[in-house]
Amino acid sequence: MAVALQILASGFAAGAVYGLVAVGHSLVFRLTGVVHFAFGELIALGVFVTLLVAAGSGPVSQTSVGGARFLLALAIGLLVTAATSAGAYFLAIDPYRARGSVIGWVGASLAVAFAVRTVLVVFFDRPAYVFPDPLPFRRIADGGFWHVGGATIQVRTIFVAAAALALAGLGGALLQRTRFGRALEAIAQDFDAAVLVGLPVARLVGLAFALAGVWAGLAAILAAPSAAFDVDAAARYGLYGLLAAAVVWFDPRHALTAGIALGLIQATVTSAQIGGSELGPAYRDVIPLALGLLLFAWRARTMTEVVE
Amino acid sequence: MTGFADAFREVRSSWRRRWTIAVVAFAVAAFAPLVFGEARTADLADGLYLACAAVGLAFAVGVAGLPSLAQGAFVAVGAVIGAHLLAAGAPTPLAALAGGVGGGLSGWIVGYAFARLPRAGFAAATWIVSWLVAFALQSITWFLGGSQGIVVSGGPTAAQHYELALVVTGLAALGYLALARSPIGLRLAAARDREPAALALGVPVLRVKAAAVAASGTVAGIAGALAVQLAGIGDPSQYDPFLSFRLFVVVLVGGALSPLGPPAGMLVLGLLSLAADAVGRLENIAAARAHTLLTAIMLLGIVSLGWEGIVRPERPARRGAPGAGPGRMKPTTLAATALGKSFDNVIAADDVALTVEPGSITALVGPNGSGKTTVLRMLAGTIAPDTGKITASPGAVARTLQSTAVFPTLTPLEHILVASAGYRRRGGLIRSLFATPKARAEDAAYVENAQRVLVRFGIPHELPAGELPVSDQRALMLAAAYATGASVLLVDEPTAGASVAEAARISDLLRSLRAEGLALLVVEHNLGVVRSLADRIVVLDAGRVLADGSPDLVAADENVRAAYLGRSAL
Repeated sequence: MAVALQILASGFAAGAVYGLVAVGHSLVFRLTGVVHFAFGELIALGVFVTLLVAAGSGPVSQTSVGGARFLLALAIGLLVTAATSAGAYFLAIDPYRARGSVIGWVGASLAVAFAVRTVLVVFFDRPAYVFPDPLPFRRIADGGFWHVGGATIQVRTIFVAAAALALAGLGGALLQRTRFGRALEAIAQDFDAAVLVGLPVARLVGLAFALAGVWAGLAAILAAPSAAFDVDAAARYGLYGLLAAAVVWFDPRHALTAGIALGLIQATVTSAQIGGSELGPAYRDVIPLALGLLLFAWRARTMTEVVE
Repeated sequence: MTGFADAFREVRSSWRRRWTIAVVAFAVAAFAPLVFGEARTADLADGLYLACAAVGLAFAVGVAGLPSLAQGAFVAVGAVIGAHLLAAGAPTPLAALAGGVGGGLSGWIVGYAFARLPRAGFAAATWIVSWLVAFALQSITWFLGGSQGIVVSGGPTAAQHYELALVVTGLAALGYLALARSPIGLRLAAARDREPAALALGVPVLRVKAAAVAASGTVAGIAGALAVQLAGIGDPSQYDPFLSFRLFVVVLVGGALSPLGPPAGMLVLGLLSLAADAVGRLENIAAARAHTLLTAIMLLGIVSLGWEGIVRPERPARRGAPGAGPGRMKPTTLAATALGKSFDNVIAADDVALTVEPGSITALVGPNGSGKTTVLRMLAGTIAPDTGKITASPGAVARTLQSTAVFPTLTPLEHILVASAGYRRRGGLIRSLFATPKARAEDAAYVENAQRVLVRFGIPHELPAGELPVSDQRALMLAAAYATGASVLLVDEPTAGASVAEAARISDLLRSLRAEGLALLVVEHNLGVVRSLADRIVVLDAGRVLADGSPDLVAADENVRAAYLGRSAL
């Protein structure tokens, strides 16, 4: 029971972030038919720029940054992420997408990913970073931990899960209830018709790219203080988000659920004991990815209808 | 001896200057170990093994149009198998062979599981496979010894490995060429250009795509097994997704549509590596990081400039010769009874019955949305009916698509070869790979047959189909359906948007096919064409058969007039 509660809390929090990234992947794919391979690295960019502005390049502790400075850093970090995401789309990806060259945009998207990753690794060359936490979770309960039914749950994980769900709800409302959202839906349903009726398609898609990056980046920044952070951790967000989106074939309505399911599987693999033996952290990536790929392959079997 | 002489004549007649350059470069490269020291020779050998894996990838990317991002994972599979066998004392050829089998099997599984997805989905799936393999190698110590790696001692020297790598890369390039011009390569190219049209011509798209990924994985597996012996250690950190990215870059830079592209791309990447060393020293950055950054920047530059590779594709010369060409199915009657099909509660076809006799043209007409194309797709086997029965021999039915759907990069001759490939008996993977005399003789006979078909349909042979006038494209679609050897042709709106002269040309072609004894079912909106062509007319309305009979009978039917024609007459 205690283990199950811990798995539920930690898995749900991580999964909610994967789910938000998956929603971003799905949105971008539905609008453009493009898989955004640089998503994880753009998230890392947002996190590290925020870290740089908030705490400089010196040593950082979790409590070393005040709220106002953190908010400024957050705004700058997200702005850089949005600008890079939209810039990458316009400069590298869209020219190939417009020509229908899948090979071209795959290469371009990967090139953006590796360029961003290398720049980050060159400038942030420590193995892992502590991310400042502007919210005083340490003052809640027992030093930031709740003890429920024998389980020890980090208060922050509940916050991350709630914040991610709130962001998903906000995103959903933005897409369903605003003119911007309806315009994106029109583009997703028929790109050419959207152009014909005079929608500023390029600008809207660029904005959607930027927003998808910001949304996922925000969730990752909220989650970052929970554990040591590095570029690989962000790349994992991108990867798991992609897998969750792929399993539901880039359907934004189900992407969040798929992400949460992946997070729960990952937490189960990391913590659960099956018949007295523990799989442990060594398998925390292998088993969820393998299961996800199997589901994706099964899903692919049903996609036999070819558009003529 | 005659076979050898024929092969020699064939090679000589299709020889190109670029092949002379390649052979000279190959010969000069063979002397590299005499010039460079052992360490540099080992680096060069390692680069050649990567080039070899990239040649395999180029086949999947260029010929099959599959953006595979798992080639690094297939290299890793070969490396794991090779490392274990070599560490246990197995000889190098056995390790390479086993690595190739492992890579090929992995490729086949990945191809079969994901090649039916749209290309974007395939790229996503293979990228995740790449990460999965990287994580597995790092976390499961059995594979490659975890952080310690698996030590592989002994084996050929660096210079011997270099020569071996050169030979293996050369063989991979020849294999690429042989498969690209074979029936399998043509079918892949057709599926790459326009998958629905390839399916309509009977191309087993999933099977050939899975075969392409398997072939690509085989080459990667061989390269992985040999490279691990060269390195002396199986190191899991060498097989992260960056390896797949590098191989993809090599293919994009060099060009995916020629087997000479990847070696050229590898050369560029090698020069970039030297530049990375210099930049790394200047900026005090680790060379590996500088290399990643320069590779990514170079690729960004390349893609933003619209680059399509150093080595441009070249169309293979195809020569015809007398011989046994494709056959044709016996005259067949296509009969359908009680066909029904619904899509999300919308009834597209309901209790449809029709018969198409040999040597006759049956027209299927009806207003837009009456279910004509759905019926056609059921008859062709593209979709399964919910109810009813279709009687026809397997392979007896071929179909053309509604829109003008040619394969734009293939010549008309290649269209006919794609269509007739189902009859090939000596066009399989192994015979094609080794270009056996019997396979080449069959190839020549099929080319000659294809030339005859094109003459009959009045279509030029050599221009890419995308550059043909629309009237020729329409005729080509019909010619390709005819070339499948099917005895029943389902022709979907052959004159849609055609001028009077174009419609007359298509009508004449359809009449000539009827005269040959083929059974033709034509969906058509042009009632003038229908009246002049059809022996029998079936009228559909809201998914049901409204009338079925001779043109005069149907034209006089009051129900047809009311529901479909209004007050105008046929």
